[in-house]
Amino acid sequence: MKALPIQVQREFWEHRGLWIVPLAIAAVMLLAAAVFGHIQFDFSSAATHYDGPVPPPLVELVVLGWTVPFFLAAAIQATAYLIDCLYGERRDRSILFWRSMPVTDARGVLVKLLVGLVLVPLGAAVIAAATSLVGSAILVLRNQELLINGHGVAALWDALAWLRMQAIILYGLLAAMLWYAPFAAYLMLVSVWARRSPYVWVFVPPVLLIILEHMIFGTNYVGRLFDGGVNQLLHLAFRLEEHGDVAVGAMVNTPDDSDIENLRFSMQMLSPLNLLASVRLWCGLLAAAAMLALTIRLRRYRDDS
Amino acid sequence: MATIIEARNLSKRYGSFLALDQVSFSLQPGRIVGLIGRNGAGKTTALKAILGLTPYQGSVQVLGMEPARDRNALMSQVCFIADAAVLPRWLTVAHAIDYVAGVHPRFDRKRAEQVLATTSIRRASRVGELSKGMITQLHLALILAIDARLLVLDEPTLGLDLVYRRQFYDALLNDYVDKERTILLTTHQVEELENLLTDVLFIDRGRVVLDAAVDDLPGRFQQLTVAAGKIEAARTLNPFHVRELFGRTIMLYEGRPAHSLAGLGELRTPSIADLFVAKMQVATP
Repeated sequence: MKALPIQVQREFWEHRGLWIVPLAIAAVMLLAAAVFGHIQFDFSSAATHYDGPVPPPLVELVVLGWTVPFFLAAAIQATAYLIDCLYGERRDRSILFWRSMPVTDARGVLVKLLVGLVLVPLGAAVIAAATSLVGSAILVLRNQELLINGHGVAALWDALAWLRMQAIILYGLLAAMLWYAPFAAYLMLVSVWARRSPYVWVFVPPVLLIILEHMIFGTNYVGRLFDGGVNQLLHLAFRLEEHGDVAVGAMVNTPDDSDIENLRFSMQMLSPLNLLASVRLWCGLLAAAAMLALTIRLRRYRDDS
Repeated sequence: MATIIEARNLSKRYGSFLALDQVSFSLQPGRIVGLIGRNGAGKTTALKAILGLTPYQGSVQVLGMEPARDRNALMSQVCFIADAAVLPRWLTVAHAIDYVAGVHPRFDRKRAEQVLATTSIRRASRVGELSKGMITQLHLALILAIDARLLVLDEPTLGLDLVYRRQFYDALLNDYVDKERTILLTTHQVEELENLLTDVLFIDRGRVVLDAAVDDLPGRFQQLTVAAGKIEAARTLNPFHVRELFGRTIMLYEGRPAHSLAGLGELRTPSIADLFVAKMQVATP
């Protein structure tokens, strides 16, 4: 276990984008908050007062919105990383160096999974959380002259809501890690298997399966496996129905006032047992374990260096 | 001390190509063994089997372990340099040291720093910025700092100029070789290793054609530059190889004592390179 930190670091040395990109996004977001963060209630006049209802989950929505770019980037980066991680070392033949060290193939593969599936998204969450605090402070400073119902904007800040939102995000992240574990394992399998163009090979088997299934059975079960995953995950991991059945996507896009009024982020919306009772989750985890075992075996016995 | 490597009937097939054909040999501690063969003779395949990098038939024991099964335990006692440039281009020198120090229980960071200090390699450089010779120096510095019992080198100086090659083997001799440590290496540059090797293992088309200690070569092989008029007499003594050079005939004998050839011409012990070429030509006329 002593070697784990250096093995993880090694992945971030090779794939520098994994830490540069989230930091760059953080810099851009903070800069944007500083430059464009001035709130105008009414574009026709320079009003600095606002009296009226303030949507209650304001802090939550700001935090959630702030987190989105980090997670989008993390998802893309983790995908690219997992596709490349076992292919790249064979392409440049450095696998001969890595394998000359006393590190088992199982360990090598699992460290890469840890990085791609856990540490990259977790890192994005941590950086997003930290910068959301700084971002909020910038927004408050930028709008000091504003008065909302007679109070300064700082009065809108709600530390408890921020903390609660972080817990909800972390929980969602954990659920997504379990949910997408088979996807990650599949990418690694392609990475260890492909002799060239792993990016193409990622798409070939599912597309072929979908076409074959359509031709032979006229059905589309494989296709449905790949789309709709996000929605199913959200409905399993969260109790969305009790909140007026607002899909998160709709909420972020064009919320009308009534939806926002109804929306409450609370720990009650988490439904971990519901998620853990899902057959699809466990089938996925089993498939992930099988694909990982195959990946380790292939890395160990593949001899094309 | 026990045998370092014991290979019995080692075979390896790539499709229809038999890369290793029932190869058997053993390596004793403290020896420097040259595994010498032509391109495609099976040298690298043999090394890969010994290192547990490829599946094989037959049995191999390295330091009492089975390479394919105990690769992890084995790699803490065995060091391996494949031909130059397998260090990844993105790795910096400082990170390379950090990494090996982090994962290798027998790595001595100070030692690596000392070896590197004798070169012009900068810590902040990436491997991609170093010349091929410097990459090999770096790799050697990492390896020399590991307290390993067996060092396996696969064409370690391939593509390096003479100065780097000389430095490489000097460093190896000065810093690595002692009674406890064993080196197994493959190379094309046989001439440069004449004074380094203690044993030679010639391999041709997957088979061992010579397995001998360098010290035993003078007693076993004779090179005769045949004197004028003695060619027929020399031929009757069954040389295994004959060649013409500048109008003179040179014959190689195996297992024939020097005194039995006396008077037929000028006698000497063949160089490893001459012996290798002769053995290969006999195997593949």
